[in-house]
Amino acid sequence: MMLRDGSTQLLCLTASSGVPLFTRGASKQLPFSVIGSLNGVHMFGGGQGALLSSCETEGGGKVVWKVFHDSVMLIAVSGGGSSGACIGEEERRLQRLLENVWSCMVLVLGQDELVNLRNIERLKRDLRSCFCLIDKLLEEKHQGVLGDLTHCADSLVPPNPTPLQEAVDGFAQAADSEFGCLFVHGRIVVATEKWWRLAPQEVVLLCALVRTLSASGSASCDYPVFLPQGSPTVAHRLLRFQLLPGADVCVLCGPTPSLQKAETELVGRFWSPLIETLRSCLAVGERCLPGSVPLRPDVLALLLINRETRRSVSCVQLSSHHPLSDSSLSKSRCWELLKLFYIFSISRYFTQEETLSGSPEESTQSSHTEDFLHGFSHQPQQCYLVTEECKSYGLQTQQHQFFLLVLPSVPTFALRTVATQTLADIISATAF
Amino acid sequence: MASVSPGLCSENTLSTAQKAKEDGDTESTSSSFSSSDYNYDLEPEWLDDIQKNGELFYLELSEGEEEAALARVAASQCLSTNHVRFSEKEAEVITEQAGTQRRGSRRKGEPALKKLARILGRKRRPSQRKGGKDGSRGKATPSPPASILKTQPGQQQGVAVQQRRRLKEACVYLNPKRLASSPTPLCERGGLLEALLGVVHRPAWTGGQTDRGAVRQDGRLTVHGLIPNSPAIKCGQILIGDVLLAVDDVDVSPENIERVLSCIPGPTQVKLTLETAAPVDSAAPSDSSPAQKMKASPPVSQLVRLLWGEDTAELQMAIGHIPHIVMYLSLKLDSSSLQEEEEILYQYPVSEASSQLKGVRGIFLTLCDMLENVTGGHIISSSLLLGKHLVHVGYWKEHNNLLVVGLPAERVPLLSLQTVVGDVVRTLKVMYGSLTSAFCKPDHAPRLDHFFCLFFQQLIQPWRLREGAPPPPPDVSGSLFLDGLPAVRWLTLPPEIKMEVDTVLSDFESSDFGEMSEDFFGLRRLYVILGSCLFYKSYLIANHLPKEDLLDVCLYCQHFCLLPLASEQRVGQLVIWREVFPQQRASGGPAPGFSQPQGRHFLLIVGLRHFMQCVLLEAGGCASPALGSPGPDCVYVDQVKATLLQLNTLEAAMEERLNVPSTPCLSCADWFLPATTTRDRLDSLASSSPVLSKLAGAIRGSPSGHRGRSLFGEKSRRSSPQRSLSDSGSEGPMDAGSGLPAAPGLSPHSTSDSGRRIGGRRDSLGSDGSGGSGGLFKMPRMKHPNPFYLGTLKKTLTDRETEEMYNTTKLTSGTENTLFHYVLMETVQGIFIAPTHREVAQLSGSIHPQLICNFHHCCLSIRAAFQQSLPARGCRAADRSQRSGWGLGPVKEHGVLFQCKPENWTDQKKPAPTMTYWVIGRMLLEPVPQEFYVCFHDSVPEVPVEMAFRLSFGLGL
Repeated sequence: MMLRDGSTQLLCLTASSGVPLFTRGASKQLPFSVIGSLNGVHMFGGGQGALLSSCETEGGGKVVWKVFHDSVMLIAVSGGGSSGACIGEEERRLQRLLENVWSCMVLVLGQDELVNLRNIERLKRDLRSCFCLIDKLLEEKHQGVLGDLTHCADSLVPPNPTPLQEAVDGFAQAADSEFGCLFVHGRIVVATEKWWRLAPQEVVLLCALVRTLSASGSASCDYPVFLPQGSPTVAHRLLRFQLLPGADVCVLCGPTPSLQKAETELVGRFWSPLIETLRSCLAVGERCLPGSVPLRPDVLALLLINRETRRSVSCVQLSSHHPLSDSSLSKSRCWELLKLFYIFSISRYFTQEETLSGSPEESTQSSHTEDFLHGFSHQPQQCYLVTEECKSYGLQTQQHQFFLLVLPSVPTFALRTVATQTLADIISATAF
Repeated sequence: MASVSPGLCSENTLSTAQKAKEDGDTESTSSSFSSSDYNYDLEPEWLDDIQKNGELFYLELSEGEEEAALARVAASQCLSTNHVRFSEKEAEVITEQAGTQRRGSRRKGEPALKKLARILGRKRRPSQRKGGKDGSRGKATPSPPASILKTQPGQQQGVAVQQRRRLKEACVYLNPKRLASSPTPLCERGGLLEALLGVVHRPAWTGGQTDRGAVRQDGRLTVHGLIPNSPAIKCGQILIGDVLLAVDDVDVSPENIERVLSCIPGPTQVKLTLETAAPVDSAAPSDSSPAQKMKASPPVSQLVRLLWGEDTAELQMAIGHIPHIVMYLSLKLDSSSLQEEEEILYQYPVSEASSQLKGVRGIFLTLCDMLENVTGGHIISSSLLLGKHLVHVGYWKEHNNLLVVGLPAERVPLLSLQTVVGDVVRTLKVMYGSLTSAFCKPDHAPRLDHFFCLFFQQLIQPWRLREGAPPPPPDVSGSLFLDGLPAVRWLTLPPEIKMEVDTVLSDFESSDFGEMSEDFFGLRRLYVILGSCLFYKSYLIANHLPKEDLLDVCLYCQHFCLLPLASEQRVGQLVIWREVFPQQRASGGPAPGFSQPQGRHFLLIVGLRHFMQCVLLEAGGCASPALGSPGPDCVYVDQVKATLLQLNTLEAAMEERLNVPSTPCLSCADWFLPATTTRDRLDSLASSSPVLSKLAGAIRGSPSGHRGRSLFGEKSRRSSPQRSLSDSGSEGPMDAGSGLPAAPGLSPHSTSDSGRRIGGRRDSLGSDGSGGSGGLFKMPRMKHPNPFYLGTLKKTLTDRETEEMYNTTKLTSGTENTLFHYVLMETVQGIFIAPTHREVAQLSGSIHPQLICNFHHCCLSIRAAFQQSLPARGCRAADRSQRSGWGLGPVKEHGVLFQCKPENWTDQKKPAPTMTYWVIGRMLLEPVPQEFYVCFHDSVPEVPVEMAFRLSFGLGL
């Protein structure tokens, strides 16, 4: 067995010639013969009119292939085992991963360089700059961020949004930009209206990029980005400034202003009066919801998606003070369960808004994989799952999708009430 | 004749030998049915169908079925054209009279017994199905056959006197194999022309027909009649009066026709050239010919024809464009062999779409070999996109060979692919011992073709196999789910009937066959009966087999569609015999200290009418070892038949049981979708009367999710007796059922169950405690029971009656019955219980069938979640040690809430009314492992565990 349980390997090759561009993944690199065969079977099938899309082995191992723009082939191989979910789920996750990786590559390098493979050696070198971003996507244990799965921007609801909104709007305007956004703990707190008009996938990727940039520790940076949907061929500048540790503001802008000018003139002007407000945002922390929103103590984790604005709020609440909880559930396990339950529900019952990703053939392909969902003659509305560790409840309304994990001590018949009540509480308190 | 039952009268196929036998039979009255004694001198009809390896698959429909089918054909033909070619009804009358004259004097014994005797010793072979009727008819009367006489006038009316003769060609499909066993005397008059083609030609007949003499010339093969159900009549182009000129361009005459036909070696399509009388009237051909072809529908269902081994080509053609394939590939490459495509050990079917899949077999081989090293597990599935079709490919690796099954994703979702592949592998293993022995023997190929033809037909176009022209909305996931359960559909019987059935089965299994037993002759017995199970109309009603053996047997039956066959059509006779390899016995058995005797096992399935008994026999062990490939033993077959005949007396009781709604009553989904008009009317009325407003409130309230506990709320709470399930299960429905179908006006106390069910949504209001309203509520279209009656009726109800009303079982809590559907699976016994087909059919409605489809589809998902969480459970695909990851962890319960709206909602002003319902699955490990799937209306919160226990206690499992 070459792949460790639960690890995922990502292979990238040129679609036409099969030259490996890079491989990423936590475990040891697969031998080249395997990479070659994996690429070969797909290529051969394509020539025969049988497009291989996925493959599954015992124990939840999974291989997913995807070719982007007839130029780059991405293959994800997961070893099953510990992260192995049910049949459909893992496939869903890997497909999302491949889409995200492709978008990442476009974001950093631009579509032109990837589609017209003129100089493969140069491309190999250039691709190194995406590695940190790709590694973030591959990294399983990064907690609290579900955007790459949901394609909805992870948000943080501040206690007092109005001054922050005004500041972001003003700051962006002063920086000659319509796209401005404030991040706290890698989640979007407020953003300009135009920012929200970006494709959801782009927003999610920009979030991921800002997270990696801020993790580097620099106080500010100027980073060229291509927008995979909005402008895949023309680069913009992403200016990022650290306001406080954990709080970043960024704008997407053209040639002006220079980073230095913006940093010295604009940041202080707009943000120094709001330091206290920002601190209160930081205090919200991973809960993402202000303290004014009451959460029942038996709620373990929740994920709330606004289907219209494509924003999501998620949190894990592990309070030690309720007596019934045996401390068997770690925080990371809670995040994992929440993710798995989300994928479970999405791949079987609820519709996921398709992002208008890339080429039309991609969207038709993804619609083919949702065959199970189409088998229902009636519309699924809610679902729940009782497992040994927790009870999960998911519901979908016109505007929201809501996923809730509660302690096993909550009686099953009360789940629905708890879920609807919690949802109503959050919505009324935050108008999310 | 008066003493003879009507069913007997219609029997006109008795050969003389059989009649002699009847006389002998009238005396035999012993209960153990020593009727088999004549089987020594009279061969059973299936004897000739036994194949060289001893296997037998003999299926014969009952006369009822055949005649019904014929009547249908005849009727359609009579209607569609004025060329009346065949009038079964008239002919029947005449032959019946003839038969009476013949037999009348001999017939003295009890009719029932004779009927039994005939079934026992029916002397009809499958091949005679075509020629038999006319043959006996011909013998009975010296004059020309009755049917032909009858058709003459029609012919004359239809065809104008001035006829132009015209040539035409007709293609018919002939299968000489089906009459291979046919005895010569039967064909002596018509010869092959009659037996094979189904064309009646009477050379001596010319003289009698003066009026038609001018048309016919001597030495020509004029069609004088057509034999029902024959290739000639099926093709719909051969008319009486036509002259057969050539067969496959070979000129034929009465002299050489027999020789020409005898040259046809095997099943093939031949071209007939006919001279026909073209009607002068131009309107006649235009309306007759195309319509006729359409209406000359196959008289027996496609399924039966498929089982008979007929025209699989046509069915296979219909799905030729859908990619599907089965391949058995070798992973060992032998470079010395020069054979082409040597790695393909077996492949089916050969179509364009499948050849594409065959072309990429390299992918399957490579993936299978490579991925094992990468992820550490065998490959189980992969998905391919072929053009617009998504195809899921399932793998099964055994030793150095790989079985690959490709199926279209729209039929088999990925979730159930593994179960489907696992089941087909297990079936093959049961039938052949191992995959290698199944696929690697070259002479197995035609049988495997047939096997996989059935397999794909059932999965891809199951509606084609059923009868009835309009394909109903296919409940594909329903059959996927129910067939995929490691269990057999069980029908609970009232205890006394159950006991009787068990006694009869036990008697049989004791192998005490009286003078027929080997003990009697001092021989070592041939077989030990390991156990048997009994099906009635596709329901298992008794099982004396261990679970794994039962599942093996059931998989075989499922695969060959024997269960639906027995429920839809009365099987005249079904005898199946083959060696089987029960999986548990083959793998060594569960107990370590105990080793199974090394014997060979044989499966004997005998079906009569709606009953079917499967017997597992063991040779070797303590019986004498089997040598070679023994065929079915007459003694055992006859004993099973005798058992079934004995059970036939219980048929009425079974029917009664099926007619009675089962213990947990069901509601129809459509009742919960109120028509707005009703609602409006209630609203307006409610304002005028306080009592009615309460009622209306309850009705309005309940669909929208309020708990409609209205007038009798408290009382019903107290008196809804969930514990008395078994009582009411046995007696309550029984007496209700007796009066149910016939008499709508019931006595006040026999609570009309159907009334309660159909009107039963409001049973909280006490409507049906009285018989009068029961009749009223029987109207199935009724959306709501009329609430206006309730106000007055409730006053007349005494407390006791109200009490009684609740003495019927309701699975759901609360005042209303909100249960739509359920499936309970008992893993230990390998059985599951679901509402009977009839019960579901009674709850007609537009939404309800959809709901059931949806329920099954959801169950697929729920069960997949259960499966994934329990790694090494004794399921059918258990051979693979599922090293499932932690994932979500063990799932105990899973539910989904659905919302449905009526289709074609036209009212623009109001939003469509909606109804929400739950589908919940629950897995219990204690006290016995069970899986429970239930579908109920949203208005009452249920605790599924409670429901499961209620149900399993109530059903007395």
